[in-house]
Amino acid sequence: MAQRLFKWAPAVGAVVAVTVAAIAIPMTANASSTLPAKTPAQVLALVADSKVSAFSGTIEQTSDLGLPSLPSTGPGSDSSVASTLELLTGTHTVRVYVNGPKDARVQVLDSMAERDVIRNGSNVWVYDSSANTVEHATIAAPKGARKAHLGAMEQGAIPQIKTGTAKTPSQIAAALLSALRSSSTVSVGTDSTVAGRSAYDLILTPKASDSLVGSVSIAVDSATGLPLGVDVDARGQTAPAFSIHFSSLSLAKPAASLFAFTPPASAKVTEVKTPDASPSQHTASPKPTITGKGWDAVATFAKQSELTKLESSSEFGLLTSTVNGGKLFHTTLFNVLFATDGRVLVGSVSAARLEEVAAAQ
Amino acid sequence: MTSDTETAHASTVDSSTTVLASVRARPAVGWALLGSEISVLFRRKRTWAMLLALAAVPILIALAVRLTESNPTSPGRGPAFLSQITNNGLFVAATGLVVCVPLFLPLTVGVVAGDTIAGEASAGTLRYLLIAPASRLRLLAVKYIGAAAFSLAATLVVAISGTLIGIALFPIGPVTLLSGDTIGVGESFVRSLLVAAFITVSLLGLSAIGLFFSTLTDVPVGAMAATIVLAVVSQVLDNLPQLVWLQPYLFSHYWLSFADLLRQPIAWDSFGANAILQGAYLLIFAALAYGRFSSKDILS
Repeated sequence: MAQRLFKWAPAVGAVVAVTVAAIAIPMTANASSTLPAKTPAQVLALVADSKVSAFSGTIEQTSDLGLPSLPSTGPGSDSSVASTLELLTGTHTVRVYVNGPKDARVQVLDSMAERDVIRNGSNVWVYDSSANTVEHATIAAPKGARKAHLGAMEQGAIPQIKTGTAKTPSQIAAALLSALRSSSTVSVGTDSTVAGRSAYDLILTPKASDSLVGSVSIAVDSATGLPLGVDVDARGQTAPAFSIHFSSLSLAKPAASLFAFTPPASAKVTEVKTPDASPSQHTASPKPTITGKGWDAVATFAKQSELTKLESSSEFGLLTSTVNGGKLFHTTLFNVLFATDGRVLVGSVSAARLEEVAAAQ
Repeated sequence: MTSDTETAHASTVDSSTTVLASVRARPAVGWALLGSEISVLFRRKRTWAMLLALAAVPILIALAVRLTESNPTSPGRGPAFLSQITNNGLFVAATGLVVCVPLFLPLTVGVVAGDTIAGEASAGTLRYLLIAPASRLRLLAVKYIGAAAFSLAATLVVAISGTLIGIALFPIGPVTLLSGDTIGVGESFVRSLLVAAFITVSLLGLSAIGLFFSTLTDVPVGAMAATIVLAVVSQVLDNLPQLVWLQPYLFSHYWLSFADLLRQPIAWDSFGANAILQGAYLLIFAALAYGRFSSKDILS
């Protein structure tokens, strides 16, 4: 009998070995690292001095905003709604290749499909494999040396491009830092490891107490100052409401062939007219009115804005609830109020605050 | 691999194998046993029937697309790659694989893997196999390799029949990858082989589970059904948003990730993750199968 039991030893051993490996390997990958201590100001300076201009990597993005998960973009579903909401739900894997300010490629890896944005000098191509369509635009070179990697691509020069998910942690970190630094308490948390690189953890906590955001933490690469990940925590929610991280990163220059794009013969190619990159031409989408500053700012969009279009979609009714003065789209991180008079108010504040702002204007 | 006592035992029983030759031609040792297992497997009518059924899937897809060509599928409808077929016949193989991976391939692999030990037991041939100088561990290994060989053959049959029918019915030319880049016909064959390798690796875990179930019973249909049901359950669980934490550990999690080989550059991450996952399933279920099989009384 003992001999028979002994025959099961390999089975027990295999289960134990696999369990240990499954627990231990992710733990070592996310192990905290010990770096020389730095003050928040020093870490901010590290980010500001970052000179990484060529890199390639894989980015994982997850959102948990307390929204129902919608069926993925199907044919016939309103693409503007789908791509707007897509950013807010689920998990995405994105590969980015950047070489200087003018060559970049972003690949959103979908299941059995892919969306690519390729910038090669002044040419921008957008390829959607499930629809088999290509959009092409020629952009004027942005004046002066811009720090942002994707240059004009990011300025909304090509409104039709579905780049909703195609942002790198560094772009998001730069935007957050410039907008929120003055209204936040900045501290440095425990050092961490992101994509195998040791990183400082820069934490921004809002000074204002009425923001829905609990804190924002930015993982800053200790060697280069490149932001490797951004976590946004909502008040009263343990899991990050929004998280974007490099899962692998290489600072080597990507192959030039990646940026050379020829539309596939079978694809339908559309030329997209782009306004000049200069801000004066941006008449189509007027700037929103901002009430307040920093974390608890509320943006009010006038009637003709892009956001109003969302109201005509079939998903709209399911996702919003009726409140005083309009329809409310609620997430754990921000609220959107579609006022009855057509204005759209967005802010990382409570619904009551949005209604207050809407009534005041 | 084989324990010392059993190899010593093997040489003394060697002469008795001639008696068994009339039961079923089984050469005495190692590679010969494997060769015999594979030739028995691939000479069975049932194996041929399953392979022919798999070969028919891409052929049916191609014929359906060809006959309704005047009414083209709009992009994004139907299985992935379907709308590309009319432009390029080389996509028939990819479409066939997308269709076969969730059900038909696990079904046939489940039949073969579930039959490995239980089939011999129900036919009453298992004890003869073990009287012949084959240790239980070696017999399990040989049976498992047989099932793995079937997984490879099944995947290749879908890929090859898809490619041939595509060439026969549609124009062929440079292939557009998911990333929008175009590769030549030669490289597209390399990618097809990589995809076949990916899917074969994907089925290794399921084969090990089937082997384990097969050691639990003398009724092959029971082991086959259990294996196939588990493959379906695993895929259902993989689609439930509430079980996100569990999904990376499901053996079917990367089954459709072979699409990562059709990107430019190839995303190897999922190939590696899949190989590690399948290796873990193989380790656990092969060890369980050994525990069960080596401690069991063989009565038939």
